Amino acid sequence: MFPLLLAAVYTHQFTRAILLPGFPAVDSFLDFVLPASLVQSVSFGATEAGTELARDIENGFFDRLRASPCTRLPLLLGRLGGAVVVAAVKGVLIIAIFLLFGAEIAGGPAAAVVLVAAAVLLVIAIGGLGQMLAIFTGSQEAVNATFPLVFTSIFMSSAFFPTNLMSGWFREVAEANPVTWIIDPVRRLILEGWSWADVGQALVVPLVISVATVTMAVVALNRKLGSS
Amino acid sequence: MVASAICGRGMRRIMARPTLIMPVLLMPLIFVVSFTGAFGSLTRVEGYGTDNVFNWMAVYAAMQGAVFAGVGGASTTAEDIENGFFDRLLLTPGSRVPILVGTMAYSALRSTIPTTGVLLVSALGGLRLPGGPLALVTVYVATAGMASAFCLLGLAVVYRFRTMRSMILIQVCGFSLMFLSTGQVPIHFMNGWLHTVARVNPVTNVLRFARQGFLGDLTWSTTWPGLVALGVMVAVAGSLAAHQLRRLAA
Repeated sequence: MFPLLLAAVYTHQFTRAILLPGFPAVDSFLDFVLPASLVQSVSFGATEAGTELARDIENGFFDRLRASPCTRLPLLLGRLGGAVVVAAVKGVLIIAIFLLFGAEIAGGPAAAVVLVAAAVLLVIAIGGLGQMLAIFTGSQEAVNATFPLVFTSIFMSSAFFPTNLMSGWFREVAEANPVTWIIDPVRRLILEGWSWADVGQALVVPLVISVATVTMAVVALNRKLGSS
Repeated sequence: MVASAICGRGMRRIMARPTLIMPVLLMPLIFVVSFTGAFGSLTRVEGYGTDNVFNWMAVYAAMQGAVFAGVGGASTTAEDIENGFFDRLLLTPGSRVPILVGTMAYSALRSTIPTTGVLLVSALGGLRLPGGPLALVTVYVATAGMASAFCLLGLAVVYRFRTMRSMILIQVCGFSLMFLSTGQVPIHFMNGWLHTVARVNPVTNVLRFARQGFLGDLTWSTTWPGLVALGVMVAVAGSLAAHQLRRLAA
């Protein structure tokens, strides 16, 4: 609800801001903020996989799981699978609600699919990070502490305002933020139309991050199981 | 005496465990840095009210911190209810009002921490005081009032439901009220339903009162609506809290 509330509020308070020189050509801030709302919505639940793993480690259930005769990777991927399904459903719902309120996707249904896919990959990336933290710390509190980091990283990106209208160190941070590298091509698909280059960037960036974080989680798990 | 003991207990908890204050301090700092950085170019839109985005956003971030401080004060009571300490408190003779006053005072004092943090960070970012030192007085009065109001509202909810989980209702309420106000842009920037909601939202008057010294001189016409809004919020929330406490103690 919060991402939708934010989108609704910003659409009605930034009607003059979209006329600023340098702001992308949009009919409404609603079109501009769609990728941000989706990213925000799926991100809020993305650390659940890590929190659940930490809870299982804290209460001992994880020790019973690893005594089971199965490979270790499913112990991590199973939880991420749940998060992926939830993210996909959220993505479809958010796009549907935005379309209902007048947003337009210039890139068509294919662009909407790319938007959902990018969001799903982002969830895997954040979920992998949460799981890695859960394995290292064994603490739900430590995993939950990533929420401010996720929240901040979304605001310190091009999610709610274009980076070319920012200045100083904040602009440099936003331009270097991987969230910007995901949101910008997705936004171009929505505002300007289909482009294979934008599709590639929108999917490859979160894919690389998710492979990295899941790999780190697997390495952390192997180290933990090897040392115990 | 009961009120000052409850207030003192809360402050001693913070001094004994400074990490308790981190969430209350961290989020407003994140807000002021993120909003000033992301929305800094709003100052280029004619009619924004200032050419320095910190002068607009700092008060908003401080008041958001005050809301968190108020909810935190009520959360302390939720903990006391869950662990049984509150039952011992109810055994104290006399009126229940000092219990409310003490918790409210603790929240108001607690709100000075995020307010000071936000003002310091904003000063580093170039915050100015066109209204002079009185600008700081208005923001501290506003944040203490907001913390008190949301603490009392939180107490009303926690006395009713008797669980820490009920605090999420007040957090959502506080967050929403702040966003549905002139937190980030002046009211004449808004249109549609948002303009209507912001116009009737009491937080808008409180923001106008708290922010005036950062935009220009302080005036009575901008001050009294904010004080009235704060007074009404505290009175209404206090009545609800007192009613629920009487039910709980019966």
